[in-house]
Amino acid sequence: MTQPAPASPVYWRFNPEVFRLIGIKCNDCGHISYPRTKICHECGSLNLEEYKLAKKGTVHTYCVNWAPPPNFEPPITPVIVDLESGGRYQGLMTETATPEDVKVNSKVEMVLRKLTTDRGLNVYGYKFRLVEED
Amino acid sequence: MRGKVAVIGVGMIKFGELFDKSLETMVQEAYLNCLNNVDKGIDPKEIKAAWFGQWSGGFIGQGAQSGQSLASFIGNRDIPVTRLENGCPTGGDTFRHACLGVASGLYDVVLALGAEKMRDKPSAESLGGAGSGGGAETGSHPAWMMGQGGPAIQALHATRQMYELGYTMEDFARVAVKNHHNGTFCPYAHYQFEVTIERVLGSYVVCWPLHLFDCCPQTDGAAAAIVCRADLAKKYTDKPVYVLGSNVGTDHSQLWDRNSLVEQLSSVKAARGAFEMAGIKPKDVDFGELHDCFTNTELMNIEDVGFARKGEAARMLKDGEFDMHGRLPINPSGGLKSHGHPIAATGLGQIFEVVTQLREEADKRQVKLKKGIGVQHNVGGPAFGVSVFNILSRSQ
Repeated sequence: MTQPAPASPVYWRFNPEVFRLIGIKCNDCGHISYPRTKICHECGSLNLEEYKLAKKGTVHTYCVNWAPPPNFEPPITPVIVDLESGGRYQGLMTETATPEDVKVNSKVEMVLRKLTTDRGLNVYGYKFRLVEED
Repeated sequence: MRGKVAVIGVGMIKFGELFDKSLETMVQEAYLNCLNNVDKGIDPKEIKAAWFGQWSGGFIGQGAQSGQSLASFIGNRDIPVTRLENGCPTGGDTFRHACLGVASGLYDVVLALGAEKMRDKPSAESLGGAGSGGGAETGSHPAWMMGQGGPAIQALHATRQMYELGYTMEDFARVAVKNHHNGTFCPYAHYQFEVTIERVLGSYVVCWPLHLFDCCPQTDGAAAAIVCRADLAKKYTDKPVYVLGSNVGTDHSQLWDRNSLVEQLSSVKAARGAFEMAGIKPKDVDFGELHDCFTNTELMNIEDVGFARKGEAARMLKDGEFDMHGRLPINPSGGLKSHGHPIAATGLGQIFEVVTQLREEADKRQVKLKKGIGVQHNVGGPAFGVSVFNILSRSQ
């Protein structure tokens, strides 16, 4: 059995980034990037402000991975989501009856779930679930 | 750099599951094949510098090699040797750096060699290792902890190609059918058998919409090229091949920063810069070795480097335009689909093919040459944000 480590290094970066969904918005080109960065990935500007991402959006693209890395039960369904706030977030679907339920343009929302384990410690973060159409 | 550098010799080994060969053995065999390929002969001591392509380093258990590994393997420890890693374009970029070494005026004759040992680990571990090379351990975004890696990244593109461009899994499968067919004529290919659309679509789903036969295999391999000052080339060979253009293009390192997932801007930029340097247009090209790590990727590449408008590659493929004897043969060697993708060796294996074709020594897979110009292309790295494009020609 894996001996739990006293702490996982990723916890240091995860608090603002993963749980509070703080990214940046470029005041020069408008590019929204996540996680936070000091230099705009799109245009190189330093004129950035912190920008909170929305938890809801629509599926931009997805796939169904039947050969995921260890620690994951296949199939897993990675998605890239166009968020209502602008910006995109990549994550996994959860709580789908079958992967076929997910489509391009499906409406989804983030829910806090266990993502993986790091040295015996649970690592939590957001996954996406389908939301009922109005 | 245009016209200042010539390839005087190329060499590779048969790619495959080479359990009987160490990294050193593969390197030495590719190197010796390369020396023997210089038809008027060359004294190995004439090589004054070398670049060693090695992508995976410690990820897949071949150790973190540095320049001295190549120097030692080839018994030439009196020259500078630099190890180069640049994602899946490592091989093509190793070639480019050798060319830059000559074009700079610093060296007359140099060696570019790439080698990769990927099969010593079982498939899942090897793929996982390749995935972690893409950033899985950085922890800066949870996505990297959730099974990203080659097949998932390209499957996310493929879904979007189907949605935006109307491409189908059958369109993707046709790439496998073409490249496997070409591979049956190439003695260096890992896989030398035909597949049908039915067999591709009936194979395991690795990462929907990509099936097992939509993916290139994990493979061991090594390949090399010797380049020299163009004005010295005839001393070594009657059939020099000249470098007309060479460029690396870059784009975002994360998928979610990119705007479009049906085009890879890294390839667009690499090709555009190389064509500009060469002073030619895509229509001047006779054939290309483009990076078909996945079948959908080849269609995207054909469009991105300028051989088709976005959304037209699938139809042109169906019409036979990219067949070995079509209007613009793509991957006459059989591509990565047949050769596998020993990462740092891949690009130099493609250079081997382009040079062999331009010398009209490709035997049963020889394409018809019109202007005598061929191209080599790789794309990869996290989010496929780095690409290399080399343009080679029979005439200066």
